[in-house]
Amino acid sequence: MTAQIQDKPNGPAAAAVLAASIGSFVLGLMVTLAEASVDIKNFLDFSKNYGLGSGVGPLSGKVILATAAFILSWIGFGFVWRKKDVNFGRVFVAAMVLLALGFALTFPPIFELFAPAA
Amino acid sequence: MFSSLFTEHELWAVIHGLVLGTLFLLAFGGGLAGLWSLQDRFVTPEGVAERTPRLLWGTTIMAVVAWLTVLTGTFIVYPWYRAKPPAGTVDLSGFPRSLLLADEKSAFWHNFGMEWKEHVAWTAPFLATAVAFIVIYYGPRLVHHAEFRRVLLIMFTLAFMAAGVAGLFGAFITKAAPVS
Repeated sequence: MTAQIQDKPNGPAAAAVLAASIGSFVLGLMVTLAEASVDIKNFLDFSKNYGLGSGVGPLSGKVILATAAFILSWIGFGFVWRKKDVNFGRVFVAAMVLLALGFALTFPPIFELFAPAA
Repeated sequence: MFSSLFTEHELWAVIHGLVLGTLFLLAFGGGLAGLWSLQDRFVTPEGVAERTPRLLWGTTIMAVVAWLTVLTGTFIVYPWYRAKPPAGTVDLSGFPRSLLLADEKSAFWHNFGMEWKEHVAWTAPFLATAVAFIVIYYGPRLVHHAEFRRVLLIMFTLAFMAAGVAGLFGAFITKAAPVS
């Protein structure tokens, strides 16, 4: 895939696609880590630890960190690729892999595999 | 008027699930049709100029609505859903999570439905925002680039699927144990 738009570099578009997939992957990763470790689950309770989202519990930390990953990676890749044409096909494949992992790690039968044995 | 029809909790649950959910579906339908039909062989240059702003608005509204849906769901409605009942509470109707978990048959709606919904829904705004940005960035140039449109269609559809899972389980969970 060599998607390029005349007159405009595809770097900013590639950065947006990759950032969305990174945000999704970090979300899945946080969900799984919270399942695997009580300490991480407690850390992710940003509502209790930092007063962000009263009563939301560990979900507050998971979504805040995932959103931060989305925004920061978009800013980072967007800056580096702002005037560049990148291999969009390669970026898209990487994005789809991260997205697939992100989706999989938010699926209860999968993330529960990482729960400590009772 | 609304205070006699809904409690505050019910009103926010309706805004989150029904109002924003419906807007999301409408914006998705419009955006999907716009992206699909934005092809050289389907539209004249005048047609492209006429359709592009609509596509831009459709995808932007979908992204904004996706954010509003997850923000209201997570930070307004969800704390009411997971509120813990005081010790000795017999009537759990005001505590949906506890109500679902109290019965083995309904526990599935929390253990699988809510656990999936509350997480996967957050991928929708990430994807929808990226799609909206690319539509804004390229505008009418998209008509010449089938590969890029395919990428957008895939991401747009994935955003819809994530929101669809959340919406579907939201409806089932609300039926079993409404936030009231």
